[in-house]
Amino acid sequence: MMLRHLRNFPVCNSAVQVIPKRFLSISQFFSEKALPPRLKLLDADITTSYLKGTGPGGQKINKTNSAVQLIHKPTGIVVKSQATRSQSQNEKIARQILADKVEQLLKGDESRVALKAERERKKKASRAKKSRRKYRELEKKEVESGEEGGEALRDGGEVRGGQEEKPQKSNQ
Amino acid sequence: MPRIPTRLILQAYKHDTILPLLLRECRTLESAKNEMRWLHEHALRISDSITTKRVPTKALVRCSRALLRTMCMARSRGMPLQYILGDQPFGDLDIKCKRGVLIPRHETETITYHAANLIVHEMANGLFRNDNERTPLRILDLCTGTGCIPLLLHALLAPHIKNLSITGIDISSAAIRLAEENHWRNMHLGLLSERALKEVSFRQGNVLDYARDVSLLTNTLHHMPAGRTSDFEPGCDVIISNPPYISPGDYRSGTTSRSVRMFEPKLALVPSESYSGLMLHVDDVPIEDLFYNHIAAIVAISRARLTVLECGNRLQAMRVVSLYKKVLQGRGEISRVVVDVWSVTGIDTHPCAVLIHLS
Repeated sequence: MMLRHLRNFPVCNSAVQVIPKRFLSISQFFSEKALPPRLKLLDADITTSYLKGTGPGGQKINKTNSAVQLIHKPTGIVVKSQATRSQSQNEKIARQILADKVEQLLKGDESRVALKAERERKKKASRAKKSRRKYRELEKKEVESGEEGGEALRDGGEVRGGQEEKPQKSNQ
Repeated sequence: MPRIPTRLILQAYKHDTILPLLLRECRTLESAKNEMRWLHEHALRISDSITTKRVPTKALVRCSRALLRTMCMARSRGMPLQYILGDQPFGDLDIKCKRGVLIPRHETETITYHAANLIVHEMANGLFRNDNERTPLRILDLCTGTGCIPLLLHALLAPHIKNLSITGIDISSAAIRLAEENHWRNMHLGLLSERALKEVSFRQGNVLDYARDVSLLTNTLHHMPAGRTSDFEPGCDVIISNPPYISPGDYRSGTTSRSVRMFEPKLALVPSESYSGLMLHVDDVPIEDLFYNHIAAIVAISRARLTVLECGNRLQAMRVVSLYKKVLQGRGEISRVVVDVWSVTGIDTHPCAVLIHLS
């Protein structure tokens, strides 16, 4: 509880206080390289349709369907969005998805979506690796304490071993 | 209306036990699921705000579930989703909806966007007077309802036009109150600029009276704020309207949906058959075109450069086109009239906009 409050305290976040009095982990946000800008699609290339079906509309019927469908004419990609109640919002969302899809088709692995997915994959792999290491160490410790923990030397050696692995990770 | 297939009801039930309730109004599983999602979000928001933080999460979930069930029951009885949720997005604005005032439709939203584009385009082409720094561009919205059109127009035009004066007129005092509430609310939410406070206003008045007695309209317009000088002439540059356009026959015959008939005001949907005032050539104009006929007289008097009218379908739009050609071309002071139809969806049974350019 207290730690959480301290975190919100501005001093803890500032760069001035480097050495914390308690073991607060202040992890540096390592700045990620910015993604390439979103592809701008030409208005003339897009056909917008509001999926309302046939039959009467307007005042006669109060339709809640705000789905928007966009067709990118040069590539033939069709995108539909009905996430929100707002037609204009749905159009914005659909445009983003369409831009991403068209870019993926044009640039392949160099596209925004592919780069994002790659970044996410790396993060996940690193997380998995960390957790594996943690459990491996825990297991080892358990085994050692089971073997009547007299061998303090070996135990220390193990811990050092764990520390040596860290620089390897940061090189990644 | 066709019966909902049992398979569909079962599918809905599998998804959520109260989802079949929504099928009655939505008709398709996809839209029922969408409405369920929006209702669920709303229920969570409400139960979050009414319960204190000490209440355990389990009780909160139970509370929101009970709320959701009540809302779904109301929806199955035909209550419009917007009256349950209390608002409807209109462009980037958030328009509050209440019983007694027509809910803004998506088609009106699209037409308003189109109108804003036209106004900006015509402004650049010099259709309107160019000394916009001093005198505002005057826009009149007849039958404004929730005030959605004037507010969205202001949001869209304010970045392009320095001086605006937009007035919304409606016969219903409830509508005027709601429009003013929406005006204030969207300013408060930061969706409208500060200028909207002075540049948008709402007045109560009967559109059907104006053609008979112009002084009534002049009086209403005289209350227009922003840049008023003594040599003010009655008139405006743009007229936009989404008047009642359903015929009494269509209202009864079942093409108008149950939900609309039961919950939305008839005053905003069907031109009144029992209007006591003077009717303009009522013999050759069908009752559903009554408002267009009266607005034509207002257009002729005010000499609005651009008029945008929403019509129910292409057939009605074609009737309105010939009506306006007849009314406006007979007048000597107007040199050129261009009337055309802009379709929102390209489907003939869907609303269209009739655009009238005077020059």
